[in-house]
Amino acid sequence: MFIDIHVFPAFYEPINEDEAMEELRHETLDIHKNGTAALEHIFNQMRCAGLDKLTLLPQDYNTQQNGITLVSNEEIAKLVELAPDKFIGFASVDPFDPKAAEKLEHAFTQLKLKGLYLHPGRLHFYPNDAVAQPLYDICEKYNKPIIFHSGLSWEPNTLTKYCRPDTFEELAASRPNLRICLGQFGWPWCRETAMLMLKFPNVYTDIGALYFDCAREFLTQMLTVDVPRTWIDRSLRHQVMFGSSNPRFEQIRMAEVIGKLGFRESTLELIKGQNAIEFLGGLD
Amino acid sequence: MMYVDSISMRTKTYNQFILITEDVRRIAAESGIKNGMITVITKHTTTGVTVNEALECLESDIAEFLERLVPEDHPYAHARMLRDYGSTAGNPTGHLKAHLTGNHCHFPIVDGKILCGGAQEIYFCEFDGPAHRTINVIVQGE
Repeated sequence: MFIDIHVFPAFYEPINEDEAMEELRHETLDIHKNGTAALEHIFNQMRCAGLDKLTLLPQDYNTQQNGITLVSNEEIAKLVELAPDKFIGFASVDPFDPKAAEKLEHAFTQLKLKGLYLHPGRLHFYPNDAVAQPLYDICEKYNKPIIFHSGLSWEPNTLTKYCRPDTFEELAASRPNLRICLGQFGWPWCRETAMLMLKFPNVYTDIGALYFDCAREFLTQMLTVDVPRTWIDRSLRHQVMFGSSNPRFEQIRMAEVIGKLGFRESTLELIKGQNAIEFLGGLD
Repeated sequence: MMYVDSISMRTKTYNQFILITEDVRRIAAESGIKNGMITVITKHTTTGVTVNEALECLESDIAEFLERLVPEDHPYAHARMLRDYGSTAGNPTGHLKAHLTGNHCHFPIVDGKILCGGAQEIYFCEFDGPAHRTINVIVQGE
């Protein structure tokens, strides 16, 4: 089983029938010239990468966007319904939205979404701020994990100070039963992420960063030098997941490279799928 | 007179050779132009258009030849975040292979038929797939 835990479907064709919304997504995410992708194309990409499943993340920043949700939980549920064997759907809510808790309850109980995605850097809150605690309560209540954007974000209007890995320490410490993923390995603070994973078994990460060079060069640097390969292969092997942050980064080449970094085969199996299954609380 | 049409497709693999000769012949016929020139030109910079004999062995040889000239594992400068795209450029090999094959071909049209050799077939070359692709076909003449 090979799972990409970190995929943004903002430009998938079935949820881009409105041209104005598509344009808003290009501008808000600062992703351009990519057009929209038919599901047939997504499945071709998955086949080329060897991927079995994608975790689809919505993006709700509505209190900063005149009440408009960039990619809604309902749209994610629609995509999952179109390919339930391939897609795992997550929810997203804006913690500053007075209805955030209600929306998250709905996403878990009615839309059957499997976890929560939050971008503290985009929404300008620290992970342990009071505004987000009710959402964490709901995730604990339903045993749902959270994927956070962590480290550098290319999206406009983001501030990295809100999602540097060390800002997650209090949350990880205070809620040991809450599984949290610090996306993008917290790049460039990968060692802070490694520190948190070493200290807290409920902290996971994914490798969805590719900010310089090609996939082979960047992932070699990040996963064998910045964080020595042995740290992952020996100590953190149950907490690192494959993620691409696609469409920001190239899924196919990243998927190919992960198998060439010198990890033990058993570690690769964990990174490629087993850790994601644990993080998600199983596949159903 | 100029007649313009296009061929669109969804490629399925990273590198792929796709025969488009029959599509081009169809467009030439639909143009109604009896004598002139036909141009086949891709809209993309990581795809090519080339003419060769349609043999499996040659497709394999051409693919390996391009792979030798443009290996995946090379320190290309075109491997960096591109501000215009908001994503990392990971396709230098596609650009370079396209540079080698060229992006278009021309044939004369005489008495309503494309004038070409018996072994000549037109290939669309995908070097950064899978992707949705478009090839323009322009017929000029009378």
